[in-house]
Amino acid sequence: MPDLGELVRAAVSAAEHDEQVEAYAEEGRQTEVSALRGEVEGMTFAESRGLGVRVIRDGRLGYAWAADPSLDEAQEAVWRARDNAALAEPDEHNGLPEAESSSPMPEIFREESASVTADDKVAMALDLERYTVSRDPRVTKIDLAQVGDAVSRVAIASTTGVDVEYARTDAWVVVVTLAVEGQETQTGFSYTITRGLDTLTWEPVADEAVDRAVAMLGATKPSTAKVPVVLDPFAASNFLGVLAGALNAENVLKGRSLFADMVGQAVGSSAFTLVDDGRRLDGPGACPFDGEGIPSGRTELFTGGRLNGFLHDTYTARRTGGAQRSTGNAKRGGYRSAPGVGTSNFFVDAGELSFDELLAKAEGGVLIRDVSGVHSGANPISGEFSVGATGLRIAEGHATEPLREMTIASTLPEMLASVSGVGNDLRFFSSVGTPSILIGEMTLAGV
Amino acid sequence: MLERDLVAEVLTAARRKGGDFAEVFVEERSSTSIRLDDGKVEELTTGLDRGAGVRVAQGTTYGYAYSNRLDRDALLEAAAAASAALRGSASGSIVDLTDRFGPGTNRAERAAGSVAAADKVAWLREVDEVARGTSSEVVQVTGIYFDSLQRRLIAASDGRWIDEERPRIRVVAQVVAKRGDVIQTGWDGPAACAGVEFLDAHPPRVTAGRAASRAVAMLASIPAPAGEMPVVVANGCGGVLFHEAVGHPLEADAIDKEASVYRGLIGERCASELIDGVDDATIPNGWGSYDFDDEGEPAQRTELFREGVLIGFLQDRLRAAKMSVQPTGNGRRESYAHPPIVRMTNTNILPGKEDPDEVIRSTPRGVYVRGLGGGQVNPATGDFVFGVSEGYLIENGEVTTAVRGANLIGRAIEVMSSVDAVGSDFETWEGVCGKDGQGAPVGSGSPTLRIGKITVGGTGA
Repeated sequence: MPDLGELVRAAVSAAEHDEQVEAYAEEGRQTEVSALRGEVEGMTFAESRGLGVRVIRDGRLGYAWAADPSLDEAQEAVWRARDNAALAEPDEHNGLPEAESSSPMPEIFREESASVTADDKVAMALDLERYTVSRDPRVTKIDLAQVGDAVSRVAIASTTGVDVEYARTDAWVVVVTLAVEGQETQTGFSYTITRGLDTLTWEPVADEAVDRAVAMLGATKPSTAKVPVVLDPFAASNFLGVLAGALNAENVLKGRSLFADMVGQAVGSSAFTLVDDGRRLDGPGACPFDGEGIPSGRTELFTGGRLNGFLHDTYTARRTGGAQRSTGNAKRGGYRSAPGVGTSNFFVDAGELSFDELLAKAEGGVLIRDVSGVHSGANPISGEFSVGATGLRIAEGHATEPLREMTIASTLPEMLASVSGVGNDLRFFSSVGTPSILIGEMTLAGV
Repeated sequence: MLERDLVAEVLTAARRKGGDFAEVFVEERSSTSIRLDDGKVEELTTGLDRGAGVRVAQGTTYGYAYSNRLDRDALLEAAAAASAALRGSASGSIVDLTDRFGPGTNRAERAAGSVAAADKVAWLREVDEVARGTSSEVVQVTGIYFDSLQRRLIAASDGRWIDEERPRIRVVAQVVAKRGDVIQTGWDGPAACAGVEFLDAHPPRVTAGRAASRAVAMLASIPAPAGEMPVVVANGCGGVLFHEAVGHPLEADAIDKEASVYRGLIGERCASELIDGVDDATIPNGWGSYDFDDEGEPAQRTELFREGVLIGFLQDRLRAAKMSVQPTGNGRRESYAHPPIVRMTNTNILPGKEDPDEVIRSTPRGVYVRGLGGGQVNPATGDFVFGVSEGYLIENGEVTTAVRGANLIGRAIEVMSSVDAVGSDFETWEGVCGKDGQGAPVGSGSPTLRIGKITVGGTGA
């Protein structure tokens, strides 16, 4: 079996003189173990490998991919991508980036995690479930208790001199609990992702999932009103994907972003700073270079509420023109698709206020702990959103009675402008991170 | 795709620790996707995917391992890894592998693979032209063409051997319209398990026109109201509501984990007596249809509600065996890289008797939902949301001003029980449903429905 470097170089060597060729290869090994009622519920081992090729010829772009290719099939992928390019329309901005050196990030690969045995993972999942159902008499069942880890490698080479490789490890725990009292059932979700299984502490995840379910027991539907809202990091993180879409330069260039004409303006409140930083090691999205081999960097999208600019890959930077360069945000959904603009570690910068101080500033408001329907209820093009929510009423500076079957609705600009406090409790969920955020006023719909 | 002897050897290896059964799933998939954006054909992508997954199960415990290598060594390694999930020591037997044939639910008349890429590109140009021609306020058009041919082999230790092909085709139009500072979007995307003949019945120009009209209609919208009110859901849209509110909580894995509001309610009235609902994988060329599910169980039409009474759950092999009932053919997986889980196929509310116009006329005040953006449910609590992409006010029995930024939220049993009118006009909608990290193409369908009372989550008065 050829190694990844051999595969990408074989593909690039099939380039003809009047075209650019880029090959991206990845391989991964992933294990997931879930436990239920004291037994292994499911155990999944995955091994995957694949190659994707971009060919640019006369400004025309073609893409082809193949799962687990031989060296010959890697070259065939170049031919297929070339055929596909012939049918696309020319775009003068298509082009591969020149090679740039990026400093390696050895910290994102933990050998100690890669060598944890399957038996240890099973034991961890069983312990996780046993612990979770022993914390509170109302939580004797779980919907999910899962431990997972992945070891992945990536290689990229191109006719413009890119030739890079890196390896990473990731490990995660997911717990969904069921709290029961009388006829009522409530659920509680918690999750953590870290660099390796050997550094993963799962007890706080289980405790949090138990607390979040129990706190919802007895929830009622509130009255429709405009109220102050505190979004905890779980709830707030759901909005970051919508913001990422609106800050994607491709969407901006194609008339699909409400922020298109707002650069330099104070869109958000002065408390709001939003960053993408692929070199931040405590973020799960840390990565030495992006999907085109450009070094990762730090881009401040909003500083104190002012919009600075957008996230770029090579195409959007060239199309924007002027001094615009790629921000190192070409991302891939895997080898099956060409790179497009995406985020690395995309997060709201932490503020000064403690969680309790945020609650104290939201008297009569609601603490939102979970939102649902974001993919259908939030529109990154128009900026409008309406999402389902659950949470707790805030009274006398404390989170009190639970609330369900309500929605919160606003628009992105209105929400950002009404950020009136940002917590110091920044927390990452996959590649997005946020602290708790106080929004001065939002429409809450219920009865 | 693989020799029977090799598959039998892999199944034998997978049963080294016994278990109730072992299964091999092999897949080859070729796909073409073309994207037109910003007036240009930006990208053509072709892919070739293949791989195999081995599963062993004991009760509701399973081990699953996959590889995208199909050689003997890789398959035996996967078998060994999967069987590690079991604790037994006595090996299990393999029944002779024998073909099972299906009715050919998803036959393609004109295979997409035989159509020139240039013709597919031409359909997208038509999408762009028609959408832009609909209104001068259309400022951006994205057209996506997709086809794939999936060939699957399912073989299991009980002797089943199923080789089935599934063709898929879809054309999507996404349109952005602008008036002053207001930006709105419209979307349409019919899809089927069929060949290109599907586009005769669903021409790309119609898809483009619908998406453009939706975007333009929403330009004149006002913020949606907030609070409880009657909602009339247009034909086609109610199927997604049914999928979220009822379908997911009826999946047997949720029932088994006691994480469903419908647990223990078979034979009880859980919806309005106007509601008859089914999950039906046998609809010819349906987006969620097949001959056999991804565990090799025959597709079927499963009755879920009859006159509002709960009839049954959706089952896979593991859950059906545990509950001592027959599987319903609802074990599905996104690809060889995923173990099968309980999923819906085409989930429909059956048509009723009322004139849909009369349903609106008899609604003094409320919201009319004509386009949707999908939804989400918590099966354990029954709380669900349902995004409205095209909505209107109903005032004095007439559909009036467009409203934007609305989401509907409710509890499954209460909302389905408050349906007080069901029209005679059935329509379908195709989407991709996400569960446990796996996407599954699903159909849904419904006539016009009126929900007596549900919370509309807008910002307006």
